[in-house]
Amino acid sequence: MIAATLALLLALPLLVWTAAIFDRIGTGRGATVLGPLRSGAALLLRPNTPTEAPDRLNRLLAPGWYLALALVGLSVVPLAPGIVASDLSTGLVLWGACEALTVVVVFLHGWSPNAPLPLIGAYRYVAIGLPAMLLSMFVLIGAALPAQSLSVLAVVEAQRDLWNVVRQPLGLPLFMALGLAITLRGPFDYADGAELAGGTSAEESGPALAMWQFARAAMLVAFSGMAATAFLGGHLGPVLPGPLWLLLKTLAVMAATVAAGRFFARMPPARMLTLLWVVLLPLSFANLALVGVTVLP
Amino acid sequence: MSLLSALARGAEIPIFAATGTRGLALVERLARRPGLRLVASPRHARVLLVAGAVDAAHQRALERLHAQVPPPRGTVWWQAPPLFARGETVAGDDPLPAIRRAAMANDPDQRPDVPPHPWQGMGPHGQGGTGMMGGNPHGRPMAMTAEDIRDGLALDAYTARFGPFLPMLPPGLVMDLTLQGDVIVSAHVASPPFDQGPEGDRPAPCAARMLRLMGIGPRAARARGALLALSKGSGTRRRLSAWLRGEEVTETPEPLPDALPGLEWAEAVLWLASFPPSRLRAACMQGQAA
Repeated sequence: MIAATLALLLALPLLVWTAAIFDRIGTGRGATVLGPLRSGAALLLRPNTPTEAPDRLNRLLAPGWYLALALVGLSVVPLAPGIVASDLSTGLVLWGACEALTVVVVFLHGWSPNAPLPLIGAYRYVAIGLPAMLLSMFVLIGAALPAQSLSVLAVVEAQRDLWNVVRQPLGLPLFMALGLAITLRGPFDYADGAELAGGTSAEESGPALAMWQFARAAMLVAFSGMAATAFLGGHLGPVLPGPLWLLLKTLAVMAATVAAGRFFARMPPARMLTLLWVVLLPLSFANLALVGVTVLP
Repeated sequence: MSLLSALARGAEIPIFAATGTRGLALVERLARRPGLRLVASPRHARVLLVAGAVDAAHQRALERLHAQVPPPRGTVWWQAPPLFARGETVAGDDPLPAIRRAAMANDPDQRPDVPPHPWQGMGPHGQGGTGMMGGNPHGRPMAMTAEDIRDGLALDAYTARFGPFLPMLPPGLVMDLTLQGDVIVSAHVASPPFDQGPEGDRPAPCAARMLRLMGIGPRAARARGALLALSKGSGTRRRLSAWLRGEEVTETPEPLPDALPGLEWAEAVLWLASFPPSRLRAACMQGQAA
C-alpha cells in the first residue's frame, strides 16, 4: 500500500506533464515537450491578483482541493494484482465521491473571487455537473455488476476473460462524457470556457492559476487511470508487467479524451442539459439494464 | 528560483488583445504567430496589446484593463495612437519585436490602486443596506431578488456594464446588462462595436471566432459537429453554416435590447458572434439614433 502510494506520487508529475504535452500536440503552438514546463515556470513567477471582497480561504484552497480529489480518486486504481494505494471494498464509491466533490470544488473556485464571469461559470458547471455525475454512477454500477463487488480490485479481476469495454460497449463512451466534465474540457467545459473569458479561472493569475491547471491535468490522469481500470482491464495483459499495461491504457484513454475535447463543440448549456437528461441518461439506464440481463445467473 | 527563471525565459508570451477600430483582422493574424499566446483574461496576460485605434471615450476602460494585467506588465499600441503614456507604439505590420520588449518591461500603474467607486456600505459585510440586503456598497447596486422572466422563480437580478474589451463580445460593444444567473433580463447598448472594415466580415475569420467560443478549431467544424451543437431553428446555425461554406452573411440583427432578453449568456454571445461586425455595428448605431 505504501509502495503503491509512493509510486503514484512519483508518477503523477510526469503523467501531468504528459497530459499537458497531449494538450499541445496539433495546436501549432510549438515546443510541445518543453512548452508546458516553460509556461508553468512563467506562471509561477507571476503574482496572484487580489479581487474586491473575495472569499479568501476558499480562493486559496480550491485548487488544492481539486488536486486532492484527483489524488484520492487515483488512489483506488490498482497498479498490479493486489497492489493498490487505497485497498477498499468500496473503491468505486470513493471514486464517485471524488467526482461529486469536484462539482463543489469547481463551484467554490468560481464563487470565491467575487466576480460575475467566474460566478456564472460556477453556477453553470453545477447545473451540467449533476446529470454528468449521475450518468457516471449508472455506468460504474454497470462495471461493478459482473464483479458483484464495489472493490476496484474485483472489477479488474472480473475482466480477466472479457474486458468491460466489449461486454458493455456503451459504458466507456458515456464515462468519457464524465471525464470531459470533471477535467473541464471541450464540450463539457461550462466552468472555464472561452465564452466566459476563462470562467472560474478568469480572475486567477500566477501560482494560483498554475496550481489550478496542474490539478485539472491531474484530474485527467486520475480519470484516465480509472477508465482504463473499469473498462479496459486495468493492469491485465500478456507479456508486459501489469503497471506498464495500466500506463499504456491510461495514456490511450488520455489521448482519446483530449481528442474528444477538441473534436466536439460546446453547446449552449440549455441544449446540453436536454441532451444529458433526455438522451445520455436513458442510454446509461439501457446500458445498466443490458449488463444486468447478461450477468443474470 | 534561478531554474524557474531560466525555464520561464523560453515561455510563450501571454498577451491580452484589446481590439480597436479595424483591429480584428490584425489580432487574427497574430493568433498564428509562434511564441505568442492570446489569452482570454487580462489576469492571465503579461502584455497588453491595443490593436487598432480606440477612441478617447474608452480611455477609462483601457486604463482599467491596464490595471488588471498583473505587474510587471508591458503595453504595446499597434496601429493605435496611445491614449496614455505607457508602453511602445508600433505603426508597421509586425508588432513582435515590440511585444518581446514589452514582455521584459515593467509599466508603472496608470490608475491609482483604489476601488473605482468609494465604499458606501454599512456593517461588516459592506452591503450598504439594512441586514444583509440592499445598498450600493461600491457604487454598484447589490443583486436583489426579482421575478424571473422564464419560470416565475424569484432570483437575484444583477446589473453591470459589460465591454468594450471583453474577448467574447464584439470589440467596442458596451452593454448594460441585467442578469439573473446567466439569463439576460434586460440589455441596453451604451456604445456600438468598433468599425472593422470589409476585412472584418470575411467568412473564414468570422466562423473561426464563433467556433473558438464553442471550444473547437475550424478543422473539427468540417465534420459538421459544430452545427449540431446549435439548435436547428436558430439563425446562429444558419449563419455559421454559411460562413463554413465560405459565403458572406448579409443578415442584419434586430435591435439588441429586443433580441437579447431571455437568452442565456452563451446563447447571447454566440448570437452576437453570428453576425458580421459591420451589420452588428449598423444595427447598434440605428438603435442609438432612435
